[in-house]
Amino acid sequence: MSVTETAVENVATERMLSAQSRTRLVNIAIPLGTAVALLLIWQIGVRVFEVPIYIAPAPTDVLHVFQTDFALLLRNFWPTFLESLAGFFIGNMAAILIAVAFVHSRLVERAFFPIAVFINTIPILAIAPILVLIFGPGMTAKVVIAALICFFPTLVNMVRGLQSVSPQTLELARILSASKSEVFWKIRLPSSLPFLFSALKIASTTCVIGAIVGEWIGANVGLGALIIESTFNFRSPLLYATVFVSSGLSVLLFASVTIAEKLIVRW
Amino acid sequence: MAASLNRASVKFGNFTALRDISLDIEAGDFWTILGPSGCGKSTMLRLVSDLVPPASGTVEILGKTTEAARLAREFAFVFQDATLLPWRSALKNVELPLEIGRKRGINIPTGERSPRELLELVGLKGREDALPHELSGGMRQRVAIARALVCQPKLLLMDEPFGALDEMTRDHLNLQLLDIWRETGTTILFVTHSIPEAIFLGQKVLMLKANPGRVKDVVEVDLPFPREIALRDTPQFNSYCARLRALLEDC
Repeated sequence: MSVTETAVENVATERMLSAQSRTRLVNIAIPLGTAVALLLIWQIGVRVFEVPIYIAPAPTDVLHVFQTDFALLLRNFWPTFLESLAGFFIGNMAAILIAVAFVHSRLVERAFFPIAVFINTIPILAIAPILVLIFGPGMTAKVVIAALICFFPTLVNMVRGLQSVSPQTLELARILSASKSEVFWKIRLPSSLPFLFSALKIASTTCVIGAIVGEWIGANVGLGALIIESTFNFRSPLLYATVFVSSGLSVLLFASVTIAEKLIVRW
Repeated sequence: MAASLNRASVKFGNFTALRDISLDIEAGDFWTILGPSGCGKSTMLRLVSDLVPPASGTVEILGKTTEAARLAREFAFVFQDATLLPWRSALKNVELPLEIGRKRGINIPTGERSPRELLELVGLKGREDALPHELSGGMRQRVAIARALVCQPKLLLMDEPFGALDEMTRDHLNLQLLDIWRETGTTILFVTHSIPEAIFLGQKVLMLKANPGRVKDVVEVDLPFPREIALRDTPQFNSYCARLRALLEDC
């Protein structure tokens, strides 16, 4: 009797497990299938209507470029990657430090916050040529542009994060006679981390945009330069491939930030 | 004397929150504080704990000023919200008072019980490594109580600590708090808005009056210890309830 019962139970759990894995499979299959279907429609559409390759290349043409010009793509990937990464670190670090200053001094906040808002309102496309003029055609200008684009969202989020401590927690700190630095290191800074990571996720994709915009203005290497060059030379398959590499770079940085968040913010 | 207030008043700008509070709280007593909302119950605890200064009058804790008592960790505070740091485990939260204040040259008194033993005392053995979001509301409040006890305070101030909990959890924690009070011998000032809770826990019920906050009455609760939940069904208990309710309506 009991044996049949366990057998029945086993069958039930197996059924449940298989149902679970089925839903998981369906969850992956639906977006993947949609993407494949869209690519197929694109491929068939381009071929059926005989669209010239320089107007819209077929997915297979783009794939072909990835095989033949991989070295070229990679050679232009690295500068953009480094500029994005350096801009990401510099821009966010500056934002974090200034946010700390804002939270500790109302005067500093009142003096500099309007300026920060003003800088943020200048379109990055408008300020990029100015920065290229100042810093020259090297990497520096691109790093500065990437840093600038990261700066503001992180500043705003970090200020909110540092201020997100509840009044009762601050009362607790006072009852424990905590010093200002203890309140900062033990309470304010950890409280701000979830806010900081929301900002870093935004910055991880925008810093790539900053680097590419910088390369459009004046550069001979980098994904931005390759986009301009392939557009002017009607090398559409190469252009598409470059765009895919650019978005791949953003995805890579975004995923890194997400993994770091999972490891650090565990509450 | 654990705490004594002498004609103490608190003002927030033009608003008088408390006026002429004079009280002597004996060491080892369990006082509960009742009153209509806005009568300054929480403000009184904040006055005693050096969070708000008196506008006039004096407040002494064990013969010291409130500031000296705070620096010596003579009292601890339990808030309505558990105020645990969400990134710290239960044990790490209990250890927090031992980590803070060292740089100011405060000689942190450590109690006889280690943080681990305190978690056991509040019935959380085995949950030391749990993060606050993994604990229920009642468990979080028990961690907060353990944290308050870690420096072995002589005075425990509690501001509606069980106000947000369900009835069953609340009953359970009331009994546990009485056990802790008996075992540690600490003086407790306990703010609540529940009349039965005030009677069940307290030896004395301080009734405050609103606008401005003043002492209305101090009612001695002459019910035997140790108290059990069944006590609440006795006629004596109910007559206390009726008496306090009448006082409260009169405020």
